[in-house]
Amino acid sequence: MGLSLPDSLSIPAFDRHFFTGQERFTAIGRGSLGGKAQGLARMHQLIEGTLAASFRSEIEVCVPTLTVITTEFFDLFMKQNHLTDLALSDLRDDVLASAFQQADLPAQLVGDLRALIAQVQRPLAVRSSSLLEDAIFEPFASVYATKMIPNNQLDTDSRFRKLVEAVKFIYASTFFKDAKNYIRATKHATSDEKMAVIIQEVVGLRHGQRFYPDVSGVARSHNFYPLGHAKPSDGVINLALGLGKTIVDDGVAWSYSPAHPQANPPYNTLDDLLSQTQSEFWAISMESPAEYDPIKETEYLKKYSLQEAEKDGVLRFLASTYRAQDDKIVYGIAEPGPRVIDFAPILKFDLLPLTRLLRDLLKLCENALERMVEIEFAMTLDERRGKPSRFGFLQVRPMVVSAAEVELRPDDLEGNDVLVASEAALGNGVRDDIRDVVYVRPDKFNVHHSEAVVVELDGLNRQLQALDRPYLLIGFGRWGTSDPQAGIPVNFGQISGAKVIVESALPETSCMLSQGSHFFHNITSFRVFYFSLSPCDRYRIDWEWLNRQPAAGEAEFVRHVRLTSPLKIMVDGTTSRGVIRHG
Amino acid sequence: MGVDASNPFVTAQFQLDRTADWLGLDLPTRELLRSPMKEHQFLIPLRRDDGTFKVFRGFRVVHNDARGPGKGGIRFHPQETIDTIRALAMKMTWKCALLDIPLGGSSGGIACDPHYLSQHEQELLCRAWVRHLAGELGPRVDVPAPEIMTSSHHMLWMLDEYETIYGERIPDFITGKPVGMGGSVGRLEAAGYGLVFALREALKELNIAADGTTASIQGFGNVAQHAARLFVQLGGRVVCVSCWDQKDGVSFAYRKKSGIEVAALAGITDPFGGIDKAKAEKMGYEVLPGEAWLAQDVDILIPAAVEHQITEENVASIRPCVRVIAEGANGPTTPAADKVIRERGILVIPDILANAGGVTCSYFEQVQSTMNYYWEKDEVLGKLDVKMTSAFHNVLKFGQTKKLTMREAAIAIAVARVAQACKDRGWV
Repeated sequence: MGLSLPDSLSIPAFDRHFFTGQERFTAIGRGSLGGKAQGLARMHQLIEGTLAASFRSEIEVCVPTLTVITTEFFDLFMKQNHLTDLALSDLRDDVLASAFQQADLPAQLVGDLRALIAQVQRPLAVRSSSLLEDAIFEPFASVYATKMIPNNQLDTDSRFRKLVEAVKFIYASTFFKDAKNYIRATKHATSDEKMAVIIQEVVGLRHGQRFYPDVSGVARSHNFYPLGHAKPSDGVINLALGLGKTIVDDGVAWSYSPAHPQANPPYNTLDDLLSQTQSEFWAISMESPAEYDPIKETEYLKKYSLQEAEKDGVLRFLASTYRAQDDKIVYGIAEPGPRVIDFAPILKFDLLPLTRLLRDLLKLCENALERMVEIEFAMTLDERRGKPSRFGFLQVRPMVVSAAEVELRPDDLEGNDVLVASEAALGNGVRDDIRDVVYVRPDKFNVHHSEAVVVELDGLNRQLQALDRPYLLIGFGRWGTSDPQAGIPVNFGQISGAKVIVESALPETSCMLSQGSHFFHNITSFRVFYFSLSPCDRYRIDWEWLNRQPAAGEAEFVRHVRLTSPLKIMVDGTTSRGVIRHG
Repeated sequence: MGVDASNPFVTAQFQLDRTADWLGLDLPTRELLRSPMKEHQFLIPLRRDDGTFKVFRGFRVVHNDARGPGKGGIRFHPQETIDTIRALAMKMTWKCALLDIPLGGSSGGIACDPHYLSQHEQELLCRAWVRHLAGELGPRVDVPAPEIMTSSHHMLWMLDEYETIYGERIPDFITGKPVGMGGSVGRLEAAGYGLVFALREALKELNIAADGTTASIQGFGNVAQHAARLFVQLGGRVVCVSCWDQKDGVSFAYRKKSGIEVAALAGITDPFGGIDKAKAEKMGYEVLPGEAWLAQDVDILIPAAVEHQITEENVASIRPCVRVIAEGANGPTTPAADKVIRERGILVIPDILANAGGVTCSYFEQVQSTMNYYWEKDEVLGKLDVKMTSAFHNVLKFGQTKKLTMREAAIAIAVARVAQACKDRGWV
């Protein structure tokens, strides 16, 4: 596999000089680097070797300075403190984490950590890098913990303590419930897992009592939810202000296709855009935490409002402004008004070659890993100090795709058991856990009743969510439209239990389908499969079969059926073909 | 050489004289540093458990306290003399100065053999020793600590006696106390681990990967056991250890070429570091004469027992493959043997550096006891590693710059610091 280094020994040993040493990528110990660090080591070589030079005049591209505590110390830590039985027990995460805090790090590790912390007084990210991550070659995004520490205390002892606590917390996260469940799903055993820990500088700048990057982002080399003119192979980029937690955990980002950086995401109305634009951001709080809690991942993280960022002077290159009198967005922040974090100065006026850089990086990573990739990065635009922008490459991993390989050919969309087929499906993967179908009755539907349909759908959605039953939703016209004449004007909360959504045009309607654009944000975040069937498509919904199924509930416009066996739903994200079979 | 190699104090003075020559110290300073500033010798009559009386000799020597209160161990050893105590006190002065710890050097003990004393008798001796010296000891005067054949238990009896005399709790009076009773976590490991931290740096300097190196160790007490443990964790292999056998009255070396199992061997070892010979044989160890530890085909030798073990007579038995000698004991190498070792190009990590982990952690313990706030083990060992590593590199760099051996460089740095402190105080 491309990620593995040809020779892991080629990583220089940490020489107790973090920022001042000759090497910016070092390792402590002789064990494995773990998957994440292996990936970063490979990318460090590639970036330094080729890519960094071609962008140097405008952007400094690098893997931020780091050292990796190899898995050797994890083994020693577990053994010396007799933690294995405890770790593999069913203890609550917080109890487990507390027990790990009581244990001691191996003697030959603490000197290096102490030496590191004595000379570094800026925020550090203490990150997991597990062994199975590499062995399984599956994405472990957010499975293990990352702890950000401000590391700005005046005395070395306090900084050292916080670093040690963070390392132990990452070790403990190897055995948290979510991680155990995940490993089980990969057919491995938690006892096989070992954890390396990355100690890395945080890319960002200090603004008073907070520290954060101007831009953070996640870029994917393939887009399973291509909207508008975008193609799946163009990939997709999500940007946010502040730490990347906004994108990864909150699901808020400015999303665009690198082939069309100037195109806005397909928001329905300006109101939607204003309501969904980033309004808060995550930063490392440089103040004392509200409460001492070493086993809390976000102990030092805090959310701030956009106004704080504006006071910090960072919105200049990141925001546009809503002008109410014209009901339009104007670029920049020269005028007062609600801000929209759309990165317009960078994306629309090409102030920085960020999109070009990301395209090159995605290609580089895809070639190295020989598969679709997802990368994370953070960036500072330090124009105040006259320094070039700094792009920190934080992670590369294979893209989150279904465990099942899905490859659908045109003839796979045919057959007597096909309920729905489409050549404009969004998503990727297989679902075989859906037995409930909620559909708008084709014999009753009329756009004049679309608002009544919403009420019925809302009720059914609540019932099914309470029972924790995911369902297939089939309806007509644009889902989520604000115009009741063009489709069904639901908000996403009213159909949030639907894991597969079909929008079909009625023969008498000439409206263009939304193709998921009204809910693009939700369907991408929740990985909903979305099928579109336009009037000119050759594929049809098998209404007859549906109507033959006994009703579990029936209202005036909406019918709910519960099947005896689950539907087989497949979407091929590379071709946008999708099929639902009742088998 | 003209040096009485059997007298450790003479050896210590010889080392000082050479260093003073090299540093160009003036006569009053030499005179001040050549001898202890304070000495106490006294007799302790003890009523034994069987009702008989026996008289023991007690000692306490403060060599120099220009840089801070005296700091030094208390030995229980039958061959204790005032000269061994003087030599140890002087070494403590250099050790604290070399590690840049704000303490002076002292040492003490009782000439006795605890193998033949009950716990109760040992307690009485400890309390009597403190009563004799109560006015001369204290956190701001002179701070005792355990040494050969004394343990945390002895320290606690001494603390209790001292606190009884003064009518208050004074946990920083003594170090080496049990954890939970004012002791520091990590202190037990400190001397052995500190030695391996320095050894690790030496191997890096010689461009030898620790992984796969071999070592032979003299002694299997606290320092040796912990050094062996950490050395094995670094990837090394200890193939031989030796120790005194109280029953047979001789020392034996225990060899296993595939590497000793430290924990298992420690399991058949008494509190004084004596290995049970019969059990060791059953565990597959070759039992060799004690001196055999020195003649092993290894990369590293660690003398971690008592003084004057590598001598002019046995130095030739050191095998050609030996690259490093790390002195875990105080003064294990006589000057004549040292000369041969230097000529053979073996890197010596001298005692005042190699075994300074113990006093460094004792200092940490005293700091914690003064605050009555105790650190985590990570913090103790992290600080220890940084102290030892930085001291090693200071000595190495100084030696390379001035064309001195590690031993000469270490003593030169230390003596210069102490001499400067004496001058700054206006003593000389």
